[in-house]
Amino acid sequence: MAPDERALRGDIAKAAYLLAEAEGRWRITSIAWPYVIASVIAKDGIAHILRLNCAGYPQAPPTGGPWDIERNAILAFDRWPRGSGGRVSAVFRPDWKNGSALYLPCDRESITGHDNWRHETPSKIWRPAAGLAQYLELVHELLHCRDYVPVARAAA
Amino acid sequence: MKTIDIFYQGEGLAEILHLEIEPDASFADVKARLSEKHGFDAEAIIFLEDDEEPIAETARVSERAKKSGVKIHLHRCRQIDVAVTFNRETVNHRFAPGATVARVKHWAAVKKFGMSEEEAGEHVLQIAGTHDRPNAGTHIGTLTDRKTCALALDLVPDERINGALEALR
Repeated sequence: MAPDERALRGDIAKAAYLLAEAEGRWRITSIAWPYVIASVIAKDGIAHILRLNCAGYPQAPPTGGPWDIERNAILAFDRWPRGSGGRVSAVFRPDWKNGSALYLPCDRESITGHDNWRHETPSKIWRPAAGLAQYLELVHELLHCRDYVPVARAAA
Repeated sequence: MKTIDIFYQGEGLAEILHLEIEPDASFADVKARLSEKHGFDAEAIIFLEDDEEPIAETARVSERAKKSGVKIHLHRCRQIDVAVTFNRETVNHRFAPGATVARVKHWAAVKKFGMSEEEAGEHVLQIAGTHDRPNAGTHIGTLTDRKTCALALDLVPDERINGALEALR
């Protein structure tokens, strides 16, 4: 097993991951290195699935976004989490990188070319010591903020 | 017999940690285990998360366990003197060390600074003089400097990514 995969598997055995799963916030559902499938529960109870490429973990940030397990492809854009024009809309952007990365400072693809984020959003810059939990906590927080549009309402 | 998951934080511990314990164990047993592992001294007090009073060490863990386990905090301070500053106004309150950042933020933002729940959701607590914004589930006892039983925080708007959320809607 490569060092990056070993590091990630070591992290997900930690208490923060066990507690997140026990409390129904988010959990890792499978690993097919370098891809990690995670499920993040939104405030309407919907489990949003992410596929994250974790190559180079933890020095390199993960990158990824909503994923369709059945089709093994990027989730159709009309099924992405939606916001009402604020924080959720700013991060879940189908127009960004063709939907392959979330527009987050802790995303490997998105931080490239956004050096301004290092001083504008220092708390959201990738921290290897915090690991994948940082990425998933940020997504969980977004899916519970007031900008998030519950799925039933989004579909109406 | 199924073991119970203990999720614990404490003075000097950088992250949340986990212990499995037998259901008939007492909190004194938990304290003994954790003292042996982390060197807590005899004066350390055990709190359940967000409880103001320490838990009786004679109590059985199973009596307080939820489906997801038990969340506790160990600290030598009985209370933490918390100061939260927002718009140059500072409010103070003493919390138990097992109080979560979420609870302290709610107290400061909603009860003291008069924000709506939605406005409070767009603000976070930051350790004064740093960029550190601890997670909502962090116990404030982990954020003290180990010299005093005090903590200074700033209530600040959450960081916006490329100008998202310019206005509070």
